[in-house]
Amino acid sequence: MTTTIAPSTAMTPASPEPAAELAPRKRRFKRPPIGYAFAVVFLVTLTLMAFLADYLPFIPYPDAKILGPDGKVGRYDWGPSWTAWFGTDGVSNDVFSKTIYGARTSLQVGVFATVLGIVVGGALGVIAGYFRGMVDRVVMIITDCLLALPALLLAIILVNRLDDYRLDTAWLGWLSRKWQIVLTLGILAIAPLARIVRAQTLSLREREFVLAARSIGAKPGRVMLREILPNLIPVILTVAFTGLSILIAAEGALAFLGLGVEVGTPTWGKLIDENRNKIDESWWATIFPCMMLFLTVLSFNLIGERLSRRFDIRQAGV
Amino acid sequence: MRYFLQKLSQFAIVFFIVTFGVMVLMRLGLNAPGDPARTLLGGTADQELIASTTAKYRLDSNYFTQYFFWLKGMVTGDMGFSVPNSLPVAQLIKGRVMTTVLLGVYAIVWGIIIAVPFAVRQAYKRDSAFDKIGSGLSFAFVSAPAIVLAPILTLILIKENTITLWWPLNDYQVTFGGWFPRIGNKVYPWQDLGEHFRNFFVPTLVLTLPIAAVFSRLLRGDMVQTLQADFVTLASAKGVSPRRVLWVHALRNSLFSLLTSVGLQIGGIVGGAIVAETFFDLDGMGTMLVVAILSKDLFTVQSAAAILVASVVVVNLTVDLLYAVLDPRIRHARALA
Repeated sequence: MTTTIAPSTAMTPASPEPAAELAPRKRRFKRPPIGYAFAVVFLVTLTLMAFLADYLPFIPYPDAKILGPDGKVGRYDWGPSWTAWFGTDGVSNDVFSKTIYGARTSLQVGVFATVLGIVVGGALGVIAGYFRGMVDRVVMIITDCLLALPALLLAIILVNRLDDYRLDTAWLGWLSRKWQIVLTLGILAIAPLARIVRAQTLSLREREFVLAARSIGAKPGRVMLREILPNLIPVILTVAFTGLSILIAAEGALAFLGLGVEVGTPTWGKLIDENRNKIDESWWATIFPCMMLFLTVLSFNLIGERLSRRFDIRQAGV
Repeated sequence: MRYFLQKLSQFAIVFFIVTFGVMVLMRLGLNAPGDPARTLLGGTADQELIASTTAKYRLDSNYFTQYFFWLKGMVTGDMGFSVPNSLPVAQLIKGRVMTTVLLGVYAIVWGIIIAVPFAVRQAYKRDSAFDKIGSGLSFAFVSAPAIVLAPILTLILIKENTITLWWPLNDYQVTFGGWFPRIGNKVYPWQDLGEHFRNFFVPTLVLTLPIAAVFSRLLRGDMVQTLQADFVTLASAKGVSPRRVLWVHALRNSLFSLLTSVGLQIGGIVGGAIVAETFFDLDGMGTMLVVAILSKDLFTVQSAAAILVASVVVVNLTVDLLYAVLDPRIRHARALA
């Protein structure tokens, strides 16, 4: 909710010997960032594999039938094995390939939605924080309203409605299910981003460099774009990574509830939904997509956490 | 008092805008094949029923009038009629609301019960192995949404697993799981406590673990800072036992982020409840809402949304009250205002 530069540096007790302050500051021993390294490697690998999946020899097409041990097409024939790394699912497709293709959808949706949220939410936040007064009041009411309804509920309503509009409205023909979800999740991302950016802007606008810019006659637009915005980049970047993890989880939940992308495109949520009733006999078809989703969310969170340590940002409300 | 009126009016504005927005969104969907009442009632309704429904809910007037009449009905206890369920909405919600409320309350209460001792000990033994493992675990659970936890917990707790052990213990088998039913029945605690526990345990766990993780991370962070404050040193110096310092002096001053986050978590809990109820086929508000939205059940969605927003408001106001209980400074400042 409130984001402030954490006073942690001020609160930590001063170093015991004053002499230590004078000596050139030594780098203290730092734990090797295993989590962070894992997150980066995992995400880069996943992204590369997801977008190059068509050209990689070890990833079959998601709709390719994998033959069972008896040489025929069967259901749930393989557990994890060399033939199908994550086993096969109910329509004897390779689960590994489906999770990789699912990553493509999830990552695209997450990134586009986050970008949308950053552009709109960031703009609202900067404007509200800079002008204050009535503008601020209105923006705050908008974000309050967006936050008052549970996010997933709002997402379900919006996706469902957008789908109807597309059928009724000719010029919305381009708005396929994927873009509906992007739009919806983007709208959900607006409110938290606007709040955090606003809080930061409120403190930045009192700083000397803003005063200096204004005193030489810079217009508000210039002050916001050239003076305040560059200083907001660390915050926005940090929140973006945390937000990305939330949005990807939300996309999974939407797909699980039957509001995923078009039939034929595999996503993690859909895989979980399709195979969950078979969890007794063939756990692999449900658990591997789950683990993929979990590791992706975890990785984005780890990166967000590291950035927030690096830039010293507290984000309680996201 | 003024503070509360201010808050309350703010919440009232949000309430009206959100419920009106939901109504317009849902209502626009009803316009599609022409007559809203016909869409609402389904294909086989006769002309008379359509006319009377249109008249009753003012479906032919503008949205503001409709909203006003819906709100009037809401206040007088008439929430409208849910056609797909052929039940009055009030009755429909009455049958479902307890499940979700129980899930939510369990999640928050157990979240706090799990989180507080862990966080306090973590903060006290900062950077110890316990702290590191605890932080790692809570970080992992923060990143585990309901949709991930539900299948994994099903695999571990609900499915009956038999695992043959590896080399030195070749002929031994371990059997676990199968403790809980796959499909949650709505058994209320006042009906049969044991069955209630069995049916609600896994869905509750799905909601609790991430919340407990969020709580413990927040509390640990605050607690670490509080423990460096002067009054803690003073308390220790004058001979207060470490336990009392920790659990009374420091904890009380570290609870604010946690409390704020309880208010913010409501949305997340409802989201998680939607997923968990769907996964475990538990008949609650979550499943009801999803079905209602997909079948364009205007009055159900509208009423349930109103209830949800109102409950968010109530929780936030309660949190505000609790601030005052925890911190006398706030209490006195508000008394003066």
